[in-house]
Amino acid sequence: MYIIIVGLGKLGINLTAQLSKEGHDIVVVDEKSSVVTSVVDTYDVMGICGNGATVNILTEAGAKKAKLLIACTGSDEFNILCCMFAKNIGTENTISRVRNPDYVDQHLFLKEKIGINMIVNPEYETANEISRIIRFPSVSKLDAFAGGKVEIAMITIRENNPLCGMAVNEIKKKFKANVIVCAVQRENSVYIPSGDFLFRQDDSINITGTRSELSTFLKQIGVYKQRLKDIMIIGGGKIGLYLSELLSQTGRNIKLIDSNERKCRELTGMLDEVTVICGDGTDQDVLDEQNLENHDALVALTDIDEENIIVSMYAMSKNVKKVITKVDRHSYSILNDVGLETLVSPQIIAGNLVTRYVRALQNSAGNSQINTLYKLVGGKVEAVEFSVPMDAGYENIPFKDLSFLPNLLIVCIIRHGRIIFPSGDDVMKGGDNVIVITSDRILEDLHDIFI
Amino acid sequence: MLGTILMTEAALLLLPVAVAIYYGELNVILPFAVTIGLLTGTAMLMKIKKPSSMSIFARDGYMLVALSWLFLSAFGALPFVISKSIPNFIDAFFETVSGFTTTGSTILAEVAHLPKSILFWRSFTHFIGGMGILVFVIAILPKTDGTAMHIMRAEVPGPTVGKLVSKLRASARILYGIYTGMTLLLTVLLIIGGMPKFDSLLNAFATAGTGGFSILNDGIGGYHSPYAEVVISIFMMLFGLNFNLYYLILIRQGKSALKDEELHWYTGIIAGATLIITIYLTVLHHPFGESLRLSFFQVCSIISTTGFTTADFNVWPVATRIILLILMFVGGCVGSTGGGLKVSRIAVLVKNSVRLVRRAINPRRCDTIKINGRPVDDHTVHGITGYFATYMLVLVVSVFIVSIDGHELTATITSVVTCLANVGPGLGEIGPTGNFSGFSILSKVILSFDMLAGRLELIPIFMLFTKYAIPRKYA
Repeated sequence: MYIIIVGLGKLGINLTAQLSKEGHDIVVVDEKSSVVTSVVDTYDVMGICGNGATVNILTEAGAKKAKLLIACTGSDEFNILCCMFAKNIGTENTISRVRNPDYVDQHLFLKEKIGINMIVNPEYETANEISRIIRFPSVSKLDAFAGGKVEIAMITIRENNPLCGMAVNEIKKKFKANVIVCAVQRENSVYIPSGDFLFRQDDSINITGTRSELSTFLKQIGVYKQRLKDIMIIGGGKIGLYLSELLSQTGRNIKLIDSNERKCRELTGMLDEVTVICGDGTDQDVLDEQNLENHDALVALTDIDEENIIVSMYAMSKNVKKVITKVDRHSYSILNDVGLETLVSPQIIAGNLVTRYVRALQNSAGNSQINTLYKLVGGKVEAVEFSVPMDAGYENIPFKDLSFLPNLLIVCIIRHGRIIFPSGDDVMKGGDNVIVITSDRILEDLHDIFI
Repeated sequence: MLGTILMTEAALLLLPVAVAIYYGELNVILPFAVTIGLLTGTAMLMKIKKPSSMSIFARDGYMLVALSWLFLSAFGALPFVISKSIPNFIDAFFETVSGFTTTGSTILAEVAHLPKSILFWRSFTHFIGGMGILVFVIAILPKTDGTAMHIMRAEVPGPTVGKLVSKLRASARILYGIYTGMTLLLTVLLIIGGMPKFDSLLNAFATAGTGGFSILNDGIGGYHSPYAEVVISIFMMLFGLNFNLYYLILIRQGKSALKDEELHWYTGIIAGATLIITIYLTVLHHPFGESLRLSFFQVCSIISTTGFTTADFNVWPVATRIILLILMFVGGCVGSTGGGLKVSRIAVLVKNSVRLVRRAINPRRCDTIKINGRPVDDHTVHGITGYFATYMLVLVVSVFIVSIDGHELTATITSVVTCLANVGPGLGEIGPTGNFSGFSILSKVILSFDMLAGRLELIPIFMLFTKYAIPRKYA
């Protein structure tokens, strides 16, 4: 697909990396020549240096024949303008990053009247993901399918976990929980486990199931955590604001710390029932004074990765139950080794959203619609939710008679709101939703899962 | 990667084998078969040993290109040695390097008696080397990633590499498409003019790669066909142009192609040089038409760094020879198959000199160098001046080493100039009628080095002498 990406910030570069890996024809546009050069050197894309919100540059980038334009510069207004121009020149679809809370209410207007097909707000999506994790604290990562009916949760097997040394097919017998282990990360490799796969200490495993089944299972293996009541948030940026709003609605006690006095005053104006503290949240004295050890969770959301990491490590040492760290440079592989369990990155979250949109566009010729798409384990594994089309040719055939590609797992079937964990005798039916897990490949259509 | 490249060479060697079978030269099949066998064997060995790290950085791109060219030339020389066409390995290596780098300097005095398949391979190396074998590999590879850009940058001549389309592989395919298309067109035109089919193809190879190996002892002049001379002149000029322009014409943006500044410089230099030489020759009592034809051919041949000859310019007036010598430095356009310093570099150097003088007159003056109406950043300008300085340095050192042989001054200097610029003939005893067989082994090695350095634009070849030069990593 012909895609133009305007703006090579962290998000733009992340999108370039992800989409060029999927084999799209990509043109990147940015005003800084040094950024363009380095991106062109690293990825197989074409670079254009110039102002992406001018007709000249957009035409040069091929906006006339482009299938999609993604505007992700730092400025919302620029992005919207860029999308409007592109749309008028002839680009079929446009995605714009809009993150100013003031514009959030205008999404519908932007979509319907201005014709921007998708609005991405990475900060809001990140806040959403964090709030989901806080509401289900036992796991380090949580992704929802089928409107939240099924979830994929990631946990790490620590010492003394009964799963150590256990085989995958023993789980069902021992714990009587309807969950499926769909991917295991061990050191730097990823496995889609078969029945005789043995767990080891320090494996990170992804398990699928309904919320209640997952809870029972986690209680049995002893990693279940109680409801988190008192949350401390460091950094009152956009994510902090969205997150405070989301969590205070659920009746939790939120303490939001930011060092900028004016910002704090603005925040208190926008937020009720949230304690806003003006102070340096990366200062140990401030954290102690604010009673960090009596909090259930800490969310580190400052703009500087290093500060977030150091604050998180301090919180872990104070035995805070849940520590969530925002990192922008997620490429450092050692982050998991230093003991930080839950890392969130706005770029990855927004990247997943855009990738799903692109995949669905690509697939609009095909017939099995992609409903949800997540990248797990640092992008090595994909979990995709498809709707099964009517008369696809493979429905109503028992799974044992179909030949699937290796490294692929059909995790569950959702039929009329009921969850089925398939065995060899189960079949797909038209109108079902199926969740497929796979590593090292790209699924665009449900057809792709067969040999 | 290196393994893949050697495999590609083995596959390309099947073509001369086919030629040998077609012309019934059965005794020449064996040398090719042995070479193919050795190449496949080495490639297999390299494939078995998995490289420790797969990531290719800019440095690795340069290294890979330099090593590939060295290996390709060494293996490519084998058919000449085994078939006893050129019994000495160093001579054969020189000849092959000269072929791959599209120089066209030869150590052979007699070429006409060689087997047809050997002649085919000799000219075919021009065709392979013209656009670059790694670009060819990129074009046929099933999947490329961003790292291939480093390889492309190291192999494609010119200070900057622009992609035609967003996918590198697609770009490489378009380039090869244009290249092959133009070569075929030339072949057909030559056949129409009455040149034998085999000769037409080989001369087209030599023209397309801007190489200049001739298959007659007295060059293109040996066909006594003004038609062929004119057609080849025009095509030499065309192959010296930036191939991006042809792509622009293909996608119907010919107008913007015509506005290209480098094109104006290139055509300007050709017109000026042709005019001066024509006047000189006419004064020397040649008919005007013939003078124009001869000078146009020679100017195109030298500036595009092809090195074909129709007349012995050693007997021309000194000023005309100096003009040809200057043209050797200029070379073709960026993104062409030609060598030399490249027209756009010359343009920037000239503009930089003008800026220098302006600054001396008014030190507060701010001035940016522009090409095609767009500012060239100082980083690029420094790169170009640095390149020029390095080029001259290599030239001077090489001239000194070659001078140890004790040839006369003109031949000594022009041998290095012509090799570094990938032209082919020089002046004096290595002129149109002479060849390089009189040089010592040391000089031949140095000149081979110069040819490679000139083709790969210096940097990759120098990387071979650094501590990063471990072939193991690039297998």
